Amino acid sequence: MSLNYVVAMLLIALGLYCLLLKRNLIKMVIGLGVMTDGIHLFLISMGYREGGIAAIVPAGMLQDNVAAGFASAAVDPIPQALVLTSIVINICIVALALSMAIWVYHHYGTLDPSEVRRLRE
Amino acid sequence: MIEIPPIIAIVLPLFGAFLTPIIATISRRYDAERKVCGWFTVAITIAMLLTVASMGARIWGGEVIVYRLGGWSPPWGIVLAVDGLNLLIALIVAGVSSLVAIYSLVYMRRDTRIDLYCALLLLVTAGAMGITLTGDLFNLYVFFEIMSISSYALVAFRRKWDSVEAGIKYMIIGSLGTSLILLGIALLYGMVGSLTIADLAQKLGQIAPSDVVVPLALLVTGFGIKIAMIPLHAWAPDAYQAAPSSISALLAGATTTAGLYAMIRVVYMMFGAFGVGTIFAIFGLVTMVLGALMALTQRDLKRLLAYSSISQMGYILLGVGFGTALGFQGSLFHLLNNAIFKALLFMCAGAILYRVGTTNLDELGGLGKNMPITAGLFAIGALAISGVPPLNGFASKWTIYIAGIEAGKAVFSLIAIIMSVLTLAYFLKAINSIFLGQRPKRLQNVEEAPLTMLFPMMLLAVLCIVLGVLPSLGIDLVAPAQGAIMNQSGYIHAVLGGI
Repeated sequence: MSLNYVVAMLLIALGLYCLLLKRNLIKMVIGLGVMTDGIHLFLISMGYREGGIAAIVPAGMLQDNVAAGFASAAVDPIPQALVLTSIVINICIVALALSMAIWVYHHYGTLDPSEVRRLRE
Repeated sequence: MIEIPPIIAIVLPLFGAFLTPIIATISRRYDAERKVCGWFTVAITIAMLLTVASMGARIWGGEVIVYRLGGWSPPWGIVLAVDGLNLLIALIVAGVSSLVAIYSLVYMRRDTRIDLYCALLLLVTAGAMGITLTGDLFNLYVFFEIMSISSYALVAFRRKWDSVEAGIKYMIIGSLGTSLILLGIALLYGMVGSLTIADLAQKLGQIAPSDVVVPLALLVTGFGIKIAMIPLHAWAPDAYQAAPSSISALLAGATTTAGLYAMIRVVYMMFGAFGVGTIFAIFGLVTMVLGALMALTQRDLKRLLAYSSISQMGYILLGVGFGTALGFQGSLFHLLNNAIFKALLFMCAGAILYRVGTTNLDELGGLGKNMPITAGLFAIGALAISGVPPLNGFASKWTIYIAGIEAGKAVFSLIAIIMSVLTLAYFLKAINSIFLGQRPKRLQNVEEAPLTMLFPMMLLAVLCIVLGVLPSLGIDLVAPAQGAIMNQSGYIHAVLGGI
């Protein structure tokens, strides 16, 4: 179980490294994706429960007076909703970033961010 | 009674954004795409402004309007909660965006795909409005992303080399910031198990302060990138310079305001971390000083305005950092004023760009004879931002100075006063090299900006003068917001309804 958190933190660290130190826009976008995926894994792990059931109450369950058993078995549904939302947002970011990278290459002939700095001059 | 105004204010621009391309497709048949899209955007933003203003009377009466999405009660469902602070920021956002929409009618005349521009403009507005009105932390993050992603696209809208360069820089830095916010929210959820800001505020009080340092730092960094706090400002000068001027005005007036609101709401009202104030004051001081110093050396008007915008954010952070009632009052007043004169100045820069085609200070000169109205409006904005007495900048800066002295940080106030003089210096330089002096031959036939562009600028200039002559009016406008910051328990009680 705690392996999840270790992997999540590793992914975040690797993504951050890639985003900050790589000198290629495509790799930076990949790094951003990896980092966000790490955060997603972290979020979803918090709601995970081994052998858990979906947090949907079947019709007979409440009548059988096992609501307490349900609460102790069901997974936390909120992180799943959050991650789903966040994945969609991340797709938008990656798509927009890649399309901008194409335009950068179109204008500058390179993807090295240290050469894309004509505005400073 | 069902509280609908908050949700209407968000839904209007959001649905408007998705309707724009459809309306454009239909109106293209009648060859009226440009007019229809432009006026549709203006109508939506003004309707939003009226919706926000309609909540005014009740909120200034001390009420907190709470709307429960889908009827779910707070700790489980998403709520929209509007108190005095939300209302002030929502008014600024709605006001600036409607003026920008009017200004864009003419300013974007030479660009293609105006329907996409209008849709993105409405999305930025919807995002900023959502940040402002929501009472749920994750919802705030989602709206933050809506606002950010559409503003990246708007900065790169013209797809020329400069706008693409600025856009990708803004995008990489901004996305890093928003993922840090997401990580902070994930950590908070793991600790507390709640996402409603009011509920979090209540439960975070029972957790040892040392445990919440990491999420607090992550959130502050994320919001700090959006308000271009030094050392997180690298994107700002490029983005402000390369974006269409109307968008620069929107970024300076609406999105930074929303970012600062998120900062105040999360740090002071959620974490209750008034101890962080000193760090804010120091960051504010650094932002203010470095922003002003870098503005002095710029040769491009829009870049100069960008650094000056960073510098003004420093003033606001400084006032917020004092953590006293007077400090908040001065800061919020300055936030309002900053939105007014910064939008005005960027619109003036846009008018020059529209008529002359450049904002490089070396290539301009003597335009006062060609564009007397723009020159006058720019002068009003420049004097207001420098804190010259009869204008609004003076009143708010003065409040911040006094707050600094009362908080026992007179040195901070002294430096702020010196920076104010420096602000005047670089604005005088800008006025001198644009409107006075020798006029190059090729600028002889430059005309005054069109009336549709001048109208929002005049409105802003009038606001500068009115709030300067009657500062008590501004203070009255800001007092409920400042009261709301100090009244954390009232907000919690109103949102949770005694749960």
